[in-house]
Amino acid sequence: MPQLDTSTWLVTIIAMILTLFVLIQLKFHKYSYPLSPAPKTFKSTSFPTPWETKWTKIYSPLLLPQQ
Amino acid sequence: MNENLFSSFITPTMMGLPIVILIIMFPTLLFPTPTRLINNRLVSAQQWLAQLILKQMMMMHSPKGRTWALMLISLIMFIGSTNLLGLLPHSFTPTTQLSMNLGMAIPLWAGAVITGFRYKTKASLAHFLPQGTPVPLIPMLVIIETISLFIQPMALAVRLTANITAGHLLMHLIGGAALALISISPTTALITFIILILLTILEFAVALIQAYVFTLLVSLYLHDNT
Repeated sequence: MPQLDTSTWLVTIIAMILTLFVLIQLKFHKYSYPLSPAPKTFKSTSFPTPWETKWTKIYSPLLLPQQ
Repeated sequence: MNENLFSSFITPTMMGLPIVILIIMFPTLLFPTPTRLINNRLVSAQQWLAQLILKQMMMMHSPKGRTWALMLISLIMFIGSTNLLGLLPHSFTPTTQLSMNLGMAIPLWAGAVITGFRYKTKASLAHFLPQGTPVPLIPMLVIIETISLFIQPMALAVRLTANITAGHLLMHLIGGAALALISISPTTALITFIILILLTILEFAVALIQAYVFTLLVSLYLHDNT
């Protein structure tokens, strides 16, 4: 059986190791699966002061302290 | 007849140069590297196939086992493409060589087992003794489990070699028979030819299934050890 002729074993094994562990993996590690692009919701960095979270009557322009 | 039958399994050398190296490296040419964000059809189809296989295979592994994802996907694609290319007429199939299959099976199996020994020593040693064995049977069972462990890489290699070689041999024989029967009795030749077609369909399935089985078993050994 020609498969049992060990003179060619070294070449075959070295070629296989090169292909399987180097060449093919170089091809497959470039595969990327990005997530579909979607807009990101921004969290604002400035927070409203406690008296600005609720609109109160004192903010209407005619009621502000007159200059 | 013996000499002729096995001649397709001789490692090809052309005037002393081992062109088997080029034949083994050829399947890598069939997987182009993706360079764009949106690639062409061939690359996209291969990426889709790789993702399908990866999701199926790596689902059952722990995070430690999932570090082997690149290795396993390369393995299944390499063996699958090599086996399918071997179905072309007059081609040489590297996976019929016992040397190559041993070279694939032994390092991968040894890597899985050694990983198990390093990270989960007690659990991997515990595999040698199934739960609930009666005490007098313990020595014999440890011996049997050790033998069954060490036979795993041999079985992996020989299974792949034998399946692919046997398929190719059958196709040679039946094809030769069909050809010889044409001059004797065309009806029998037709029947033989139909058998050959069915066998070719089987060989396509076997090519893919053997790749799958090899990778699945390596994955299983990995799962046991991570």
